[in-house]
Amino acid sequence: MIELQNITKTYVKNDDAIHALDGVTLRIERGEFVAIAGSSGSGKSTLMGILGLLDQPTAGRYVFDGEDVSTLNTLAQARFRNNRVGFVFQAFHLLPRTSALENVELPLLYSDRAEIEGLGKKALETVGLGDRLHHTPGELSGGQQQRVAIARALVNEPDLLLADEPTGNLDSRAALEVMSILQELNRQGRTIVIVTHDSAMAEHAQRIVRIENGRIAEAA
Amino acid sequence: MNNGRLVRHSIRAMARYKLRSAFIMLGSFIGAAALTLVVSVGEGAERKMLATVRQLFGASSILIMAGGTQILGGSGANAARLTLDDIEAIAEQVPEVQVWDPQQAIAGASVRHDGATATARVLGESERSEEVWQRGVTRGDYFDAHAVKTTERVALIGITTAKELFGAEDPIDGEIQIGNVPFRVIGVLEPFGTDLHGMDRDDEIIVPISTMMRRVMNVDTISTAKLLVGDSSQVDQASKDVARILRERHAIPASRPNDFTLITATKVQQMVGRMQKIMSLYLPLVAGIALLVAAIVAATLMLASVNERIGEIGLRRAVGARIEDVQLQFVIETAATIVVGGLIGIVAGSVIAQLVANRFELGVVISWRPVLLGVIVSMVTGFLAGVLPARRAARLDPIEALR
Repeated sequence: MIELQNITKTYVKNDDAIHALDGVTLRIERGEFVAIAGSSGSGKSTLMGILGLLDQPTAGRYVFDGEDVSTLNTLAQARFRNNRVGFVFQAFHLLPRTSALENVELPLLYSDRAEIEGLGKKALETVGLGDRLHHTPGELSGGQQQRVAIARALVNEPDLLLADEPTGNLDSRAALEVMSILQELNRQGRTIVIVTHDSAMAEHAQRIVRIENGRIAEAA
Repeated sequence: MNNGRLVRHSIRAMARYKLRSAFIMLGSFIGAAALTLVVSVGEGAERKMLATVRQLFGASSILIMAGGTQILGGSGANAARLTLDDIEAIAEQVPEVQVWDPQQAIAGASVRHDGATATARVLGESERSEEVWQRGVTRGDYFDAHAVKTTERVALIGITTAKELFGAEDPIDGEIQIGNVPFRVIGVLEPFGTDLHGMDRDDEIIVPISTMMRRVMNVDTISTAKLLVGDSSQVDQASKDVARILRERHAIPASRPNDFTLITATKVQQMVGRMQKIMSLYLPLVAGIALLVAAIVAATLMLASVNERIGEIGLRRAVGARIEDVQLQFVIETAATIVVGGLIGIVAGSVIAQLVANRFELGVVISWRPVLLGVIVSMVTGFLAGVLPARRAARLDPIEALR
């Protein structure tokens, strides 16, 4: 499903080139649950951004479902982000003062779907928040907020779910809850990739890819 | 992509930040209202001023005032002697003078009729004042040369004074007392309205100059005379002759200044030109400052709002918003706050301007120029402070905007 070929990402800072990713080659098959693990600064979040087309690689090829997506224009990128992937962030990034339902429906605003009725509610039910539709983020716990964010990532029924440190801002109980939801989604057939520095969390995945200094250290 | 969904979403999103939206709207409202008000009233006042000056002073007039004062300065009438003989001599010796009218005045005389009292400006004039000052009567008759010759106690009264003294009663043939002197009202003066100083010129009473001098004031001087010459091109020469004759008659040595003041159309034109220059400089300046301040306030709030929302823009991009979608949202927000605020401000400014204009009898003052300017500035402000920065944020890679 995902094929990364020799991806590099270089930032230039004070005339020094920093290689956040230095020739990453990686395959992820449909239906897998992969954890990308590494210490902070290893380049794992940069890799995640590139997988979700939130960021552009400096060089290399990214093939998604047989299509080269590293050369898409901004319009096609927006379309890809809208219906091919769902993204979950460490900091949730929910709109404040806005109900859980409306937060979840945000991607639908930008989709081509003619019929969107009920999709938001269904997604919230999937993460066990069918009774919290009209609560605002301020009225929800951290774990609940992250579940709203997962529902938002699911609402457009993407093939791939990407989660960048999804449990990083949560206590251990809420973290386990979120991980079990991701496992359940994977059992239902979704491809899931998470980034984490926490090896206990990484253990929930089927496969762990370790990344160090912008390179794949170990692909088990 | 469904724009209807996005429009509804944007409006709901704005409603969640009522205070912020209200302040942006208010900034734009105040600027547009101030601009419309200042420019409309200013233009109205300028038109009124020019109209009044023309009404008072035609191109072929020469005004002689007793006292060597500056234009618009205080009057030195008591110190100087300007007499009817002076003016008669001028009329004889300066052939360009076709008609003239002397004047003597009391600024605030107490006038009575039955039990009613009023304060009026009483003017003594000749029967020629109707022609010279271009103000006749709407009812009754003007007094004639005979009345002036025989110091008749007849009066023409303005409509305000007529109302104050007579109420609904017919003032014609009514008796009034100016000071202790009884007069018979023979005519009602044409309405004039307010003059340059905002003074009501309908509370005037005109009586024959001879009656004024001998019976009311007991003086043998006049305060003012207005001369009309046949052709405006002759005014400058005629006024030089007038000055020469008056200096001779008053035996003023060459080293001394005039003990009278001459005003001609040329001088008035210069004066009006100066006023117009001030107006044309001052009005746009004040309006511009008002608008600038408001635009800065609205723009600052809008910019702060956009900056605060770069993360939100990044998130929207991350879930699939196109650059155009983000732009559309901010166009909607700008239209709903800055532009609507500006439009309401224009309406409010126009209403207030018209109320002010009605109070000072300036006529209809609403003009399209400040309205158009207000709309354009609102839109430019909104575009520069709202849409443009939002568009710039939308162009970032989402990962940067989310940072």
